[in-house]
Amino acid sequence: MSKASFTSRRAPAHHYVLAIILAAILTIVVSVLVGATNPNDFWLAASIGALCAAYPAMSLGAKVFVSNHTVTLDAHGEQSVELQWMRQAGAGAFLDVLVVIVVASLVLAIGRLEVDALPILLGLVALSAVDAGLRYVAVRHRALK
Amino acid sequence: MKNNLAERRSGRSWTQADLAAAVGVSRQTIISIEREKFDPSLPLAFLIARTFDCAIEDIFTPE
Repeated sequence: MSKASFTSRRAPAHHYVLAIILAAILTIVVSVLVGATNPNDFWLAASIGALCAAYPAMSLGAKVFVSNHTVTLDAHGEQSVELQWMRQAGAGAFLDVLVVIVVASLVLAIGRLEVDALPILLGLVALSAVDAGLRYVAVRHRALK
Repeated sequence: MKNNLAERRSGRSWTQADLAAAVGVSRQTIISIEREKFDPSLPLAFLIARTFDCAIEDIFTPE
């Protein structure tokens, strides 16, 4: 894994246009697909799908067409301290999620509760992402203070 | 590991960013090494030593 640095360079103008076109196409495709899954309320579902897809699609467009010109990889980025911080944060978050799963499973088993799997799985995804992010910030702060 | 990286860097009037750019790592990496909160990998230690035209043990010493 290498670390990337932003530069002050800019990509050619038509690359930004291509990025926007790709983002628009992806957003429209996703919104139509989401809308098609809910034909009773097509426009509402499609709007929500578009809202959710727009930012990732723009990021993908920037990654494909723009970032090659504006971001450079550090020559020895994998030797940087950030990689150690990321590993520490990831390992800690993994253990946190494991503990939460064990405790939640015990509560559900003992209480004989039944819950939908989808919100639980989405919650675990959110927990792992937020946990890893917060741990990274904490590790970084501790190392640099 | 203890190190005298900060003194050697100051001796050349380099900023932490200058040294980071010279060895191809982030500035935070240099800060962490100078504060002895991060032990560099062997390749990075060699790279730093080569940058200062000296041996690794001239910069890094085990505690």
